[in-house]
Amino acid sequence: MTHEATQITSPPKPSEMLLHLGPQHPLQPGPFLLDLKIEGETIREAELKIGYIHKGMEKVFEDRTYIQILPLTDRICYLASNSNNDVYCRGMEELLGIEPTDRAKYLRVLTNELCRIQSHLLGIGEYTTDVGFLTMFIYMVRERESVVSLLEAITGSRLNHNYARFGGVAQDLPPGYKEMALKSLGKLKELIKSHDDMMSSDSIYLKRTKGVGTLTAKEAGELGVAGPPLRAAGVNYDLRRLEPYLVYDELDFNVITQTDGDVFSRVKVRLLEILESIYIIEQCLDQMPSGPYKQDVTPYITRPEPGEVYSRIEDPRGEMGMYIISDGSDKPYRFRIRGPAFATAQALPPLLIGTYVADVAAIAASMDSCTSEVDR
Amino acid sequence: MGDEQAAIQVIDKTIMIELSDKFPDVVSDVDVPSPNRAIARIDPSKVHEIMQFLLDKGFDHLSCISGVDYPPDKMEVVYHVTSYSGPLVITLKASVPRDDPNIDSLCDIYWNANWYERETYELYGIKFNDCPYLKVLLLVEEMEGEWPLRKDYAGYPNPT
Repeated sequence: MTHEATQITSPPKPSEMLLHLGPQHPLQPGPFLLDLKIEGETIREAELKIGYIHKGMEKVFEDRTYIQILPLTDRICYLASNSNNDVYCRGMEELLGIEPTDRAKYLRVLTNELCRIQSHLLGIGEYTTDVGFLTMFIYMVRERESVVSLLEAITGSRLNHNYARFGGVAQDLPPGYKEMALKSLGKLKELIKSHDDMMSSDSIYLKRTKGVGTLTAKEAGELGVAGPPLRAAGVNYDLRRLEPYLVYDELDFNVITQTDGDVFSRVKVRLLEILESIYIIEQCLDQMPSGPYKQDVTPYITRPEPGEVYSRIEDPRGEMGMYIISDGSDKPYRFRIRGPAFATAQALPPLLIGTYVADVAAIAASMDSCTSEVDR
Repeated sequence: MGDEQAAIQVIDKTIMIELSDKFPDVVSDVDVPSPNRAIARIDPSKVHEIMQFLLDKGFDHLSCISGVDYPPDKMEVVYHVTSYSGPLVITLKASVPRDDPNIDSLCDIYWNANWYERETYELYGIKFNDCPYLKVLLLVEEMEGEWPLRKDYAGYPNPT
């Protein structure tokens, strides 16, 4: 990999032309500009320009109290709002020296996995529209509806759940939740298996995705990506296994990997991870201890001791990290968000070099980036 | 990645002892606050050698580069380095003077340092020497030179 792969270095020669994709392009939710220098149908150089919806969140957070930041972490990426809440709360718990209750740990794992399922479903749905497989988009959005309803029943909102709290969660499960969830997830499991069959056997779809946009394990490591694009290349890297937080060390699950690292494998990893997440949720519902779901006194006004923490989580898209520096006041001195989509987006231009223009949509969408989080 | 078996053996806290032995006057204030985290201060002029050493020891994933502003006289560049085969995250902090903040680029060691360095540059004004493409990433081009995440930033356009 060379650094020249991230930008267009020279004006196009007479045999080449410059193609702008974006900033408004239906490839991904949110605006970005992808400049391609093409020769015939082949991409010679690519450059990604971001920042169209830069919100300055890190600066905003320095001017908010710790509890005011909590709902804002949802807005980093609405599809991963539960993970963002959780990684922030775990960081704060470490700074404050408190521990969530046992039941709260299970509840957080449960909502994190539901969040992963709905994120993957929408990710695959958007991707299938980009490869022209519109039927699958309708199916994915239909399936996602039931998962979002399960999240809504616990958290009270369909997006931006704002569920985790310092030392616990906002509320307990509603009555009859286990039966409702098992019924809904059992149905989802069957549907995902049939969608997986459909996608693995459709010859046109296979032609479109097999061997396209291949990222080997070595390249993926050098590019610094994590999450499904890395696991699709065969690297067994999952923070739930590597650095078990909450109660992941008490749960049984497999880290899904594939070997090819192409567009097909990346989507396959997400499909199989949905099944694995359902399995984790079923265990959570069985094993969940009774008891309080939050601390007796939730510390709303907090002045953590001066110090710093770097907490990270296996987000639906990869490794989400938050680096919080406290100076002893009620606001963070520095709040750094290390997003997974930022790392994935950076790896896109080198991946496009040498591919065809017709494959750009498939490759870009299979990385499942989120502009809101890239720009922050 | 390569020789993963060999890498797993060194992905633990002993790397911090090795690091301070190898660079005795450069690495200071080594702290291990929890089993998976280690913190150290480093001399900014030796950041390149230290990162190359860590990469050779199996720390093949640069998680993040952040800037931190400590007015009136210093700024910090904070590196989070970790590995694809172990849970240890090493936090390395390099202090740079606030009136002329600059530090060596890591782009030739970790490919993905590029965007993190550009982001730190546009938000703090810290120059990364030899970074191949050091210009604004998230901000509009007119805002280059504003350094909005510095603590004394007054807003854009500058009200004074």
